Amino acid sequence: MDTVVEPAAAAPATPATPEASGRAERPYDPADLSSLAFWSSTAAERERTFAELRAARPISWHPPVEGRLIDDPNDQGFWAVVRHADLVEVTRRHDDFLSGEGIVFDSVPKELLDAAQGFIAMDPPDHTKIRRLLVSAFTPKQMARIEDRIEANARRIVDDIAAKGEVDFVREVAMLVPMHNIFDMMDVPEHHRLTLAETSELIATYRDLPGGDPDETIAVLFESLTRFQVIAGEIIAERRAHPGDDLVSALVQAEIDGERLTDADISSFFALLMVAGNDTTRQSTAHGMKALTDFPEQRAWLMEDLAGRLAPAVEEIVRWATPIMTFRRTAARDCELGGQRITAGDKVIMFYASANWDTDVFEHPERLDLGRTPNKHISFGGGGIHHCLGNQLARRQLAATFRELLTRLPDIAVSGETVYGHGTFFHTVSSMPVTFTPEGR
Amino acid sequence: MRLTFDASRCCSSGMCESFAPDVFEIGDDGALEIHDPNPPDSERARIQVAVAACPTGALAIEE
Repeated sequence: MDTVVEPAAAAPATPATPEASGRAERPYDPADLSSLAFWSSTAAERERTFAELRAARPISWHPPVEGRLIDDPNDQGFWAVVRHADLVEVTRRHDDFLSGEGIVFDSVPKELLDAAQGFIAMDPPDHTKIRRLLVSAFTPKQMARIEDRIEANARRIVDDIAAKGEVDFVREVAMLVPMHNIFDMMDVPEHHRLTLAETSELIATYRDLPGGDPDETIAVLFESLTRFQVIAGEIIAERRAHPGDDLVSALVQAEIDGERLTDADISSFFALLMVAGNDTTRQSTAHGMKALTDFPEQRAWLMEDLAGRLAPAVEEIVRWATPIMTFRRTAARDCELGGQRITAGDKVIMFYASANWDTDVFEHPERLDLGRTPNKHISFGGGGIHHCLGNQLARRQLAATFRELLTRLPDIAVSGETVYGHGTFFHTVSSMPVTFTPEGR
Repeated sequence: MRLTFDASRCCSSGMCESFAPDVFEIGDDGALEIHDPNPPDSERARIQVAVAACPTGALAIEE
């Protein structure tokens, strides 16, 4: 597949299904959201393209993303939704814009999606039933009950780096915070945690694998999926025998319309909780550390009243990070969106980083403003039925981690190159060295 | 002002609770509980925001 940026070069990869209501003949927008080069550039560079689209062509049609894992003959392109208001609208029109056809931008083998997407790629009524099984574990009330655990995990992670003076922040902090918190909630034994967090990381960063050959990447993903399924299967069997009050036990004990969930279903929900739990807050923690380094005057403002200012600061860090950059929907029927005719089966991609930089909603979005109020970021979603289940957990983890870090290691700062990933879904940071005065010196 | 609630549409997103936690609460069984179905008129603005935030239209205000 060529990089298609000029409309003249925009021939579909595969002859289009003629009855696809004109999708194949639809002209592509000249702005490039599809090339490997676009996704390998920085967030600031991508924002230049988003700004142009937000201003002039807020709902635009683009060729399929480059570097796809598999060729999908029905994939002739996607609609890009880049404005805040339109993203919220798509999110809330869940009858028009479905999740059941998949929620990732890339074309990925169905077996992999089925094994890992869980209920995020389901529509009502099934989605509602599954989500309800888990929602009580993530309510504000329940989060208040586990606040001590979240704080203890932050303390433990800072304890382990405090004497070192120099660490890779991603490996030794950002990765471990959400890993311990979500796996505490799922009661995943300590000895499995790193293996599962690394599996989760691979799912988030497969586009960065060396070589980049799709078949090799698929092989690596299947191998890692098998490793995951063995561990998850062991934990699921153990919970069937000895249920506790964790999330996996909730799933094995649940009945939907009088029927128990299958092991395959539970494994897929396990994978969703694992990936959504690990790969999101990991990125927000890392981007937050980078932002606190890059904006020293904002950091100084925060430190003047850390306890009083941490809540808005966490919101701004989550906006700044935008840990998930895209979600896909699929049009259920012919309908209209922002003046464009969308046809049944069209892929619709929401661009969260773009919506979080929309000047209709945010004054000077390019400035980190830790006191920003109101902060209507959509990093947790636009308020629809798929709104981030773990948003309260994420907020509490980020608050606990930065409270602990900034109090005990007050001069911690990024000290070298930050390496970003090239994925289209998670806004990943692969490595980021930090230095600090070791505690007690 | 009276709140009505269609449990069959509720997806337990908790959006209402995030705007008015004293009125709405997702219980331990995942179902929404409305603490005060007849909130005072002084609370109207806040309750309207919470009701409008429901992604499935499960909540409504009856006059």
